[in-house]
Amino acid sequence: MVALLLALQLRTITIDQRLAADAHLHVGDTVMVSGSPTSVGDSATIAAVIGRRADPSEIARSDYRVHLHLDQLQHLIGYGDRVDRFAIGTRGDSAADTAVRAINDAAFGFRAYRSRDIAVETSETFAVVSRFHRAIGVITIVASSVFLLCILLLKVDERRRDVAALRLIGISRRSVMLSVVLEAAFISVIGSGIGVGIGWVTSLAVNWHYQLRYQTPLKFALVTGDIVLFAVSLSLVLGVLAGVLAARRLVRTHPLTLLGR
Amino acid sequence: MRLVLALASLRRNRARTILAVLGVAIAAAMLLDMVMLSTGMRESFRELLLSRGFQMRLTPRGTLPFDTEASIPGATGIVATLRARPEIDLVSPVLGASVHVLRGDSSITSFALGVDPAAQGDYQLAAGADALAPNAIVANDDFLRATGARVGDTLRIAAGYDPQLRSHSGERALVVAGRARFLYLAAGQLAIAAPLRTLQQMTGAAREDRASLFMVRLRDASKVKDVSRWIRTEFPAIDVISTADAMARVDERLSYFRQLSAILGAVSLVVGFLLVTTLVTVSVNERVGEIVVMRAIGISRLHIVEQIVLEGTAMSVVGAVLGTGLGLITARYLNTILSRFPGLPAAIDFFLFQPRDAWTAIGLLTACGVLAGLYPAWRAASLPLAHTLREEAVA
Repeated sequence: MVALLLALQLRTITIDQRLAADAHLHVGDTVMVSGSPTSVGDSATIAAVIGRRADPSEIARSDYRVHLHLDQLQHLIGYGDRVDRFAIGTRGDSAADTAVRAINDAAFGFRAYRSRDIAVETSETFAVVSRFHRAIGVITIVASSVFLLCILLLKVDERRRDVAALRLIGISRRSVMLSVVLEAAFISVIGSGIGVGIGWVTSLAVNWHYQLRYQTPLKFALVTGDIVLFAVSLSLVLGVLAGVLAARRLVRTHPLTLLGR
Repeated sequence: MRLVLALASLRRNRARTILAVLGVAIAAAMLLDMVMLSTGMRESFRELLLSRGFQMRLTPRGTLPFDTEASIPGATGIVATLRARPEIDLVSPVLGASVHVLRGDSSITSFALGVDPAAQGDYQLAAGADALAPNAIVANDDFLRATGARVGDTLRIAAGYDPQLRSHSGERALVVAGRARFLYLAAGQLAIAAPLRTLQQMTGAAREDRASLFMVRLRDASKVKDVSRWIRTEFPAIDVISTADAMARVDERLSYFRQLSAILGAVSLVVGFLLVTTLVTVSVNERVGEIVVMRAIGISRLHIVEQIVLEGTAMSVVGAVLGTGLGLITARYLNTILSRFPGLPAAIDFFLFQPRDAWTAIGLLTACGVLAGLYPAWRAASLPLAHTLREEAVA
């Protein structure tokens, strides 16, 4: 009975999944919450365990998160009737501008900011990571372009005897060149298709690993239509380029020389 | 002789060889960058932490240095207790606060450190004198640039701002005694350092005899664990962060870059390996007739294997050496991008070049070159002589 009365008086809190897992806490458990390691604090009941939002700014934060009622936290840390900030919802984008202006003109002792402006500042870390990824991406593209060009040149070069035979039986240089370029283009498209498949499977693995590691629903690797189009187009252009370069050399060489005679 | 033959074979298809070497060079550059990334930031951070010899940082429980505005009360007593321990060589109390340089109706906000100039490990004096007098400060270049002040100038600096009254508090006239380079601050961050007592007085009763951080240097670095244990028992409200602890936290926060470097490094190796294997295999296929004739006139299998392996190795070594130079250039560029990380000390390098990194990259790619040549070499050495000769003659 006493326990029931006590439970009725206890305030509720929510904790995040990581804290729940690490401290083996469950909904309904009673915990002590205090404002400093040395003070006694108050008892509280865990009302819910919450998951992390898909917010990039929370990724690198390894701290635990506890939500309390406002007055409960103010009392715990001796903050009085104070808050750090207010979040204000407005009716549309233009209303937000008007509200920011009105508050800043009239307010005494605090300042209003648009959420978008704050987001730009707090996302600076991700802007840096994004620039780094882009630079790495450019290096990777250059490396894969050279690789692709080299492989396709070799592939076309391997056809020297077939080309010689075709030329000897009277097939025109243009037809031979077209067939070689088409073959190179076909190989490029098939190869890039397989590459897109591998990339998609890899992105699933990357997302699975990092979502588990950072306990977040954020997606870390995305294979979008634009990326697929870019990869296939680049591969096709390089394939055609390699095909033209190699085929031009082959059709200009005498068929008997190609046969080693 | 074998090397001459291998090089002659590579020269025969010059365009193809140049392209392959270029491919290996880019793979080597990427590999070097990734090796530098995986070890560089850790090493750079460790060097930074130990640059002034302090092995331990004491912070308010549950916080990292200057992560929050929390501070530790009774700083004088704590310093005295710590200094009484025979293992402890030096204790540097530090208070962090925001200050405002007053300029007419406006002000410039800067970060300020309250330090004991005789024991501090936060900055290196670049010009002028240290902040020894109670009204003296040292400032970094960004601060001097932003305020237009020079060594010897007097500035009016306030430690507090009441937004409700729109007035500053804890105002003092402070003289810029010197110019300093702050070791742990982010690039572009305005900073000054003043005597600890001065900053405590400026920040008011709430910060009286408080410190945000204590930096501790031991006479014997091997005693870190023992002293940490003693401090935790003596001061339960204080967290002890040793260099190893700080490294572990950095490892955890920057693990993404380590994983990325491992993945991209492995991909670079695979690309280099595939490129060399393909090229040597095609080259061997084209020279089947030549190889069997060499075998037929008495050249040993080992000789053939060595020549083909040398081809792959030569391509890898030349590509890797070229790639090392390319890698250093790209590493510098990538480091410029990552050094803009908000809040990261300007002295941290993500891509720190160490000669062993270059040797690792060249060694790995050379090993790849040797392995890449083994399969085509084995195929060439095991060709049936009579059958291949007849086929080649018919062809």
